[in-house]
Amino acid sequence: MTITIALPSKGRMKDEASAIFERAGLKISTVGNDRSYRGRVDGIDDVEIAFLSASEISREIGAGSVDFGVTGEDLVREGLADADERVEFCARLGFGHADVVVAVPDIWLDVDTMADLGDVAADFRTRHGRRLAIATKYWRLTQQHFSGSHGIQLYRIVESLGATEGAPASGSADIIVDITSTGSTLTANHLKILSDGIILRSQACLVRARKPGHENDIRVREIVERVQAALRG
Amino acid sequence: MTRYDLPDFAPDLLAAFATRRAERVHTPVIQPADPFLDMAGEDLRRRIFLTASETGTSLCLRPEFTIPVCLRHIETATGTPKRYAYLGEVFRQRRGGAEEFYQAGIEDLGERDVASADARAIVDAMDLLRVVLPGQAQTLSLTLGDQAVFEAVVAALGLPVGWQKRMIHAFGDVGHLEALLDRLARPQPVTGLDPEIEALLSADRQDDLIARLERRMEETGYSTNASRSPAEIARRLKEKRELAETRLDGSALLLLREFLTLRLPLAEASAALAGFADAADLKLGPAIAAFDARLAALANAGADLSAMTYRAAFGRPLDYYTGMVFEIVASGGAEVLAGGGRFDRLMTLLGAQSHIPAVGFSLWLDRIEALRDAAQGKTGEPE
Repeated sequence: MTITIALPSKGRMKDEASAIFERAGLKISTVGNDRSYRGRVDGIDDVEIAFLSASEISREIGAGSVDFGVTGEDLVREGLADADERVEFCARLGFGHADVVVAVPDIWLDVDTMADLGDVAADFRTRHGRRLAIATKYWRLTQQHFSGSHGIQLYRIVESLGATEGAPASGSADIIVDITSTGSTLTANHLKILSDGIILRSQACLVRARKPGHENDIRVREIVERVQAALRG
Repeated sequence: MTRYDLPDFAPDLLAAFATRRAERVHTPVIQPADPFLDMAGEDLRRRIFLTASETGTSLCLRPEFTIPVCLRHIETATGTPKRYAYLGEVFRQRRGGAEEFYQAGIEDLGERDVASADARAIVDAMDLLRVVLPGQAQTLSLTLGDQAVFEAVVAALGLPVGWQKRMIHAFGDVGHLEALLDRLARPQPVTGLDPEIEALLSADRQDDLIARLERRMEETGYSTNASRSPAEIARRLKEKRELAETRLDGSALLLLREFLTLRLPLAEASAALAGFADAADLKLGPAIAAFDARLAALANAGADLSAMTYRAAFGRPLDYYTGMVFEIVASGGAEVLAGGGRFDRLMTLLGAQSHIPAVGFSLWLDRIEALRDAAQGKTGEPE
């Protein structure tokens, strides 16, 4: 059985992932030319590299069509129901940091916590004739945080695939759930993060699809151990 | 094993609906998704089957009947009172159980005699279950809750209106309610405000505060599309400070917790609630009177109260439920066979021009079918 590792296909994520694998003694070379989307690990047979986009990687791990992947924890937890049952987060790789946060207009001086937001949401329909609208691409994480952790049911999600932080000013939503690394884009758009509004502190992770065949596969253990050792080292 | 055919006892239910003069209505399987998500919240999204039309309208497979039946009533501008019956398939993403299954029920719209309408919903649900589960009538048990009694208790404890609203909103959600009780026991003062805002608030200069918020909104270019106005923010800022100082003393908290643990035979509930109100020195008058009126109506309708339990903490944390809720299980089983309640706020939320009181219930026909099979010794294998 071939072990397939899905790695980001471009940009800093690709470079950083390749660097860590190299430090782990798993030097990756592309098959064919530099722009090929397939690769292999020097010195280990039957391990294949697939270069995919970050969101594809989380989907493929969820489907079990690849064995390992390097991608953001936010994408995995957003993309998969019961993520921890289906995948294992083997190592946090120390790059690609981004927090998924709840941010509201900073002029909302009365809203600092999720409990405040719960009060506002409960009254919103009476005052404005519609539910509180949240712009986000993180449907699942938003629901888990609002409904699961804070008992807030009454809001509507407005899908936003880009420039989410502009939604409150443009009037397409009241608040947002989005990723931020420094918070500067939020500040520039006059938004503030709620004190208990950090839903997830995400970074790039080595993720393994939980497959029965992995249990006695020495290569699987070796890949995990080598990457973990490289991070310690 | 999942069965997709109409249950063989469906004609019995339809006959029972006709006897009760509930008009059977049909609603499309494909429904606009917005009313469901608006009413029940986004949490519903992962439990329904969503799709979109070519023009981008969000659609779903009918996840339940109450909202379609109510919308149909509003659209056809039918007068009230009016009783509707339905029987058909609903579609939900479930962890256990089939994803398409049958439900049947009655929605009673516009009946002003609340006690009688409540009693009739309970009696009808029980009777219909007896019709389709002959021989198991003795095993049916009903649990009843009443949000109006809870509302009266939090009001009588002297909580400010803002706190009452929080508690009522959380009623039926144990974790959320428990978190609120914690906050009431250990108030946290509001901190971290800009000193200038703090000064305006302390001096109660609301107008100046609003003007300041307005200026800031204009400077940031946010004002054109702002949903919450400076006045709304200023008002809630003031309310928040007042609510943050609210504290329930130990004995009041104890009373509230004691109330929430009440669970007793329905026949004894009136006396127990009156006793609780007396001992706690709380005035629950109208809520208890309404509770008693419902009990009297139930007794009048010949209901067997001994199979019914009152549980004070039982409610549904959705803002359109307003009073009684109930569910019926077969003893020993955890699965709800019938669930119902009063939803006086739903019709106006859905766009009705006038207030229309409403109560109804729904039967889970797949669970009933499984019980019938078990009683007949069927294993559920195809014959």
